[in-house]
Amino acid sequence: MSDAAVVSLETPKELQRVPLVANDRRLTWITDSVSDIVESPTPIWWWLLFLPLSAIALFGLVCIGYQISNGVGVWGENHPNGWAWDITNFVFWIGIGHAGTLISAILFLTRQKWRTSINRAAEAMTLFAVICAGIFPGIHVGRVWMAWFLAPLPNANGIWPNFRSPLLWDVFAVSTYFTVSVLFWYTGLVPDLGTLRDRAKSRVARFIYGIFALGWRGSNRQWRHYEMAYLILAGLSTPLVLSVHSVVSFDFATSILPGWHTTIFPPYFVAGAIFGGFAMVLTILLPARLVYPNLSDMITRQHVDKMAKIILLTGSIVGYAYLMELFIAWYSSNKFEGFTFFNARLGLGGKGYYSWAYYCMMFCNVISPQIFWSKKMRANYVVVFIVCMFVNTGMWFERFVIIVTSLAQDFLPSSWGHYSPTWVEIWTFIGTFGIFLSLFLLFMRFLPMIAMSEVKLVVPEADPHHPSHSAGSHAPALPVAAQPAQEGAH
Amino acid sequence: MKRIFQHPEEPATGKKYWRSLGQLSGTPEFKGWLEREFPQGAAEFNGGDVSRRSFLQLMGASMALAGLSFAGCRRPEKHLVPFTRGVEWSIPGKALFFATSYPTRKGAAPLVVATYDGRPTKIEGNPAHPVSKGATDLLAQASILDLYDPDRSRFFLEKGKPSDTATFEKALDELIKGAGDGTGLAFLLEDHASPTRERLRGLIAQKLPKATWTVYEPLGSDLADEADGVAFGEGLAAAPTIEKADVILALDHDFLGTDGDVAASRAFSSRRKVEGPDSKMNRLYAVETRYTITGGIADHRLRLPASQIGGFAAALAVEIGAAAKDAGLDALARAAKFATASFDPQWVKELAADLVASKGKSLVLAGPRQPAAVQVVVAAINAALGNIGQTVTGRKVSEKPAQSLVQLARDLADKKVKTLVIIGGNPVYNAPADLDWANLQAGVPTVVRVGHYEDESSVNATWHVPLAHYLESWGDGRASDGSYVSVQPMILPLYGGWSDLDVLAKFAGLPKPTGPELVRETFAAVAKPADFVTAWAKFLHDGFLEASAALPEALTFNAAAATKLVTAGTAPAAPANGSAPAAPANDSYEVVFIACPKVDDGRFNNNGWLQEVPDPITKLTWDNAALISPKTAKKLGVETDERGTADIIEISVEKRTIQIPVLVSPGHADGSISIALGYGRTSVGRIGGGTGVNAYQLRTTTAPYFAVGASVRVTGKRHQLAITQEHGVLEGRGADLTREATLGEYKESRDDKTYFKTMGMDAHAPKNVSLYTNPPLNTAESIDPHAWGMTVDLNTCTGCSACMVACQAENNIPIVGKRQVIDGREMHWIRTDRYFASEGDKDLDDPELVSQPMMCQHCENAPCETVCPVNATVHSQDGLNVMAYNRCIGTRYCANNCPFKVRRFNFFDYNERKLTELRKWNLISERGMEDSLKLGKNPNVTVRMRGVMEKCTFCVQRIQEAKIATKVAERDSGKVRIPADAFTSACAQVCPTGAITFGDINNPESAVSKVRVSERGYRLLEYLNVNSRVTYLARIRNPNMKMPGTEKIGAAMKSHHGHSEKHEAAGATGGGH
Repeated sequence: MSDAAVVSLETPKELQRVPLVANDRRLTWITDSVSDIVESPTPIWWWLLFLPLSAIALFGLVCIGYQISNGVGVWGENHPNGWAWDITNFVFWIGIGHAGTLISAILFLTRQKWRTSINRAAEAMTLFAVICAGIFPGIHVGRVWMAWFLAPLPNANGIWPNFRSPLLWDVFAVSTYFTVSVLFWYTGLVPDLGTLRDRAKSRVARFIYGIFALGWRGSNRQWRHYEMAYLILAGLSTPLVLSVHSVVSFDFATSILPGWHTTIFPPYFVAGAIFGGFAMVLTILLPARLVYPNLSDMITRQHVDKMAKIILLTGSIVGYAYLMELFIAWYSSNKFEGFTFFNARLGLGGKGYYSWAYYCMMFCNVISPQIFWSKKMRANYVVVFIVCMFVNTGMWFERFVIIVTSLAQDFLPSSWGHYSPTWVEIWTFIGTFGIFLSLFLLFMRFLPMIAMSEVKLVVPEADPHHPSHSAGSHAPALPVAAQPAQEGAH
Repeated sequence: MKRIFQHPEEPATGKKYWRSLGQLSGTPEFKGWLEREFPQGAAEFNGGDVSRRSFLQLMGASMALAGLSFAGCRRPEKHLVPFTRGVEWSIPGKALFFATSYPTRKGAAPLVVATYDGRPTKIEGNPAHPVSKGATDLLAQASILDLYDPDRSRFFLEKGKPSDTATFEKALDELIKGAGDGTGLAFLLEDHASPTRERLRGLIAQKLPKATWTVYEPLGSDLADEADGVAFGEGLAAAPTIEKADVILALDHDFLGTDGDVAASRAFSSRRKVEGPDSKMNRLYAVETRYTITGGIADHRLRLPASQIGGFAAALAVEIGAAAKDAGLDALARAAKFATASFDPQWVKELAADLVASKGKSLVLAGPRQPAAVQVVVAAINAALGNIGQTVTGRKVSEKPAQSLVQLARDLADKKVKTLVIIGGNPVYNAPADLDWANLQAGVPTVVRVGHYEDESSVNATWHVPLAHYLESWGDGRASDGSYVSVQPMILPLYGGWSDLDVLAKFAGLPKPTGPELVRETFAAVAKPADFVTAWAKFLHDGFLEASAALPEALTFNAAAATKLVTAGTAPAAPANGSAPAAPANDSYEVVFIACPKVDDGRFNNNGWLQEVPDPITKLTWDNAALISPKTAKKLGVETDERGTADIIEISVEKRTIQIPVLVSPGHADGSISIALGYGRTSVGRIGGGTGVNAYQLRTTTAPYFAVGASVRVTGKRHQLAITQEHGVLEGRGADLTREATLGEYKESRDDKTYFKTMGMDAHAPKNVSLYTNPPLNTAESIDPHAWGMTVDLNTCTGCSACMVACQAENNIPIVGKRQVIDGREMHWIRTDRYFASEGDKDLDDPELVSQPMMCQHCENAPCETVCPVNATVHSQDGLNVMAYNRCIGTRYCANNCPFKVRRFNFFDYNERKLTELRKWNLISERGMEDSLKLGKNPNVTVRMRGVMEKCTFCVQRIQEAKIATKVAERDSGKVRIPADAFTSACAQVCPTGAITFGDINNPESAVSKVRVSERGYRLLEYLNVNSRVTYLARIRNPNMKMPGTEKIGAAMKSHHGHSEKHEAAGATGGGH
């Protein structure tokens, strides 16, 4: 230290880190306010949301039953358009899941502490989105009851699945993804389940939470194992963030269809998935903050700000990919590629059947997130929410554009054909939103929405050197931002 | 239902078998029971379809009939024997083939029918007969479905109430007894030339001399007959020999389509088979109202309203008269009073010059729906060109003339007819509207109606008698070349129907024939064989009498009679004779009634295959529509959008009106409206119900084929049409998909063997380099030495679509119904793509047209195979891309990745569900296929369930059958190669022009391996490196370079890049340019 300097312990205000948990909350407060959501009586609004949403989910299941009973013909698909909403919805939902895995695994490995307050909900969202995604490839096949042919079981004829087919890769990728995500999520839940068990007042709750808490005692040994397991699972999940959507993109990229046959797809799909996933995380958490004001001390302005920045980044990557596709279509001077991008998608010459969908996608995914360059806009929850809704819509349209515009107008003009959805596929899609949101409401009701144990680790109190640990002291802590330990903790 | 069964005598010696103790004891109760034959089972016949048991009985009987007649030519015995003891000639699963013929108004089509266990399943042309040579047309292919049509008439009806054969026979006997000399008795029949029918007619005329005999065909050849009678003399008909003509002009004559037969198509295409740049091609000029397949393949085409064809013919005659210095022709042409036609005078001038230049080797054809006067002018042109005796030969008309429908209508109106016997036909539906036939028929005391369906004409008939299908009855006929052909049954009448001969025999005082006895007598009279037994056996075996074709007659053109007709012209049947119908004026339109290539005059309205096969030009299914030109549509302010939603217009002709959706048809003449007849039936089965609009309502005796002065009102209503090809233009992809050149260009590039192979993308894409070597394909030395391949010659494919229905019949392809076609789910394994081409796809008023059959290309590097997750579509050793239906789970990924979009998915259980109930919950809707339809399925092809993908298999069942036959014949020699061209696929077999060739490309002897090395050969989308096994042969047009607009011919279908640029690019290994 310079001798001439006037030493100030105070970091200048503008350089202070914003605390991860606002209002200097204590560990108890965190436990109480998160557990309270689960422990307090079911609020009326919850029933008002849950009943219609589960009814919608049930109706979606009825539509699926109808479709399986009658055939894929109850959907609007036809001969050039062998896939449409089914695979669009599949890729849409599977993409949404990616934000959860990114937050929980990659941000964990890179020690991004702000993840702690959103990872639980994001991971739950991942699981529910993958469940919704898994419905579509399951039911879209013509003979659902024969779908077990996809399993690598040698049957009496010695026929194996075709390991060259990207659809088979999908089966492995998605099922691995789901399994690892469930394990990861559940492992993270164990300490909190222990907390809930210990706080539970009714015998039933205590018994059930007790079963799932797997005998968690919070001993040093258990923490050590827990953290090791969590780290390993994070390591396992990390490549999955990249691989799953890459594999999904292979469904298209390895084909020969103009508009699908594109090497840019894997990174573009992954970026798009993170983009769409973060939008969905915000779409859910922003209202949750409204309902449970206590949460806003944990999911703070800076969380929203950071996620908005990621949306801006990934949205721009996606925009770059869109433009690169157009460039390559021109640069290849392949007339079939050219037609797909310039006529079928951009609608030049008035020839695109679905160019409106392309422009919708462009606006939602590329233009609308650019507003996040402004800090003010990132701080405005209404604006953030609206942009997230645009992104959700745009990402659905992106998949629709890729699938339907390419199929509807491909090589032979003689077999071009329009596609329009029927009420069955519309309601099946709406039904998956019912399933997704119903599951999320159940999750909110019965499980801690925020990883209490993890959030507690990032508050200043968690630091062993924190003044509050000196015996009996309830003296106010140093300003949190001044804590050098913050960076070093665990 | 008590039926008398004649069980065969038990053998006197040997073991006796009995079914029950009752039979053993021979009690009267048992005998009664036996005769009643399953009393409770009577319901099986009344209520529904043919049950399995009764089917076995029928089947056994038909075997006995067909088989015994072959074996010993004895009178067939009538035992109904189920196959409890096998018959030696029947091997389950093996087809037996019988020759027969399909009677039509254009002459019977000689056929060979495949039957399995006594069930006919597939119709082929008779390869030994010169008319057919193994090919058939669309209608003959589909006619087998009518046999199994569950909506067919099944019962004898007396005043609409079910009756039975015996009661009818009794009533008929009484009717004949009371007929006296035949006064008040009138017969109304369809036109088909059956010598036995003519013989019975003679017998009836002797017995009932006052009875009248009327033949009515709504789309008959009466005008042509009249014109030939005038021009060449009564009893003579002119027949073109198309194969001899170098230059052909078709004036409103769709001789490759609805106006011709397979012989005409073959004759024409025999001169379009291009083997090299020096091949001599004929040249076809077509002048027509709407695009027909004839116009589509023509080298030059002029669109003209039907009412102006006469004016054009006259103008042409004047030009030819001048060029050939024929004053007579000139005088005749100037005497003719036709409506003035507007066209480019240069066009007709150059055309005349071309025709005159190939004097004696040219041919002018006038459409059979053109007025007799026009046809006479055309005869005069042919005479002036010296074509008579060269490209136009004469033939004696063998049938005695019959009374016209107009005369019969007059008799009916005068109440002169007490008994009207209508055999076949459907006059209530298709008689000219001004006759008001329904009312006339209602006024006749006794109407005996023999028909396939309980249709419009059966309503209110005293008796309705089910008419036996031609595959169920004995008969005979004359093919279009006049040769004598047999009609023999493959199966006993499924519903106990009577044939026309059965009914006429009763009137002739003969017993109802139980077998071929009537035909045998006729045969004896016609053939006068020395050894009747052998000759008759040969007749049935071959299906025709050798050397029985009509001999050419010398024709002399009667100029005087012709001039008289052209100038005076008062023949009632011909409306435009002499009189000059006004050309379509600005706000008045011409309405042309056309024969539908699919349902014909309406007789096939209930045939699902034909309803669903797209029209060769418009690609319309399940409906008819008012075809109008884009310009006329614009003027009227109506449109048909790409998805088939069409505006409905109201057309009025002399206060008769119909409301009909419009279909904007590129290449249609302006100011003219073409409407296909045969739709809008009111009393028809489940298939035909609700299809189209009845254009007969506008059709009168004075204007039977086209009416002028129609007015049009736009109703503002809309109708959804089911069109299988939404997009009709090439989008600049002609050089990739439908390559072509003019004969001149072909000659210029004679040294460039890659000329046709390097057009479009293939001129620019770098050579494909594979990163790994594929497993070697099979060679001539492999265990399976075959490699199946196909070629499609675009130069001879007219687009007639017979292959589509042949494929459907061979491969048990279901129909899906109108709603599903609208949704884009038709199932055809082979389709006929039709493109309209004009420069920049802009001007669709008068575009060029090209048809391209498209089926699975059996790519060696099949993109569908790699993407299937369950290995349901894989490659066979002999190079087929095969589908394992029971492995398929229906991801549809293969269809998405198919660049040709030839894969077909079963979106619903089309074989198990009613087409109207596809969307009903599966659990509560009725399942199952109509029993009668099951009988018609090919037993060697799986009937697919819902949720699986299907597509062309190159008729794998035929390949396997041939392999088995070869292996059986070769025994242990180890040679398993099928002899070259020992069999072929269904589409190749049916093709009347031989455009499709299928076979083993590893066998240098096979036709396909010779054709596919042609320099015209190219494979679609070669740059994708899919290595397809189907080779298309580029089309060669043979335009007359002096004709106006010739420079534009084919321009739209050629590469946008010049050829000079092409070679540098193709030589370069880098990417693109």
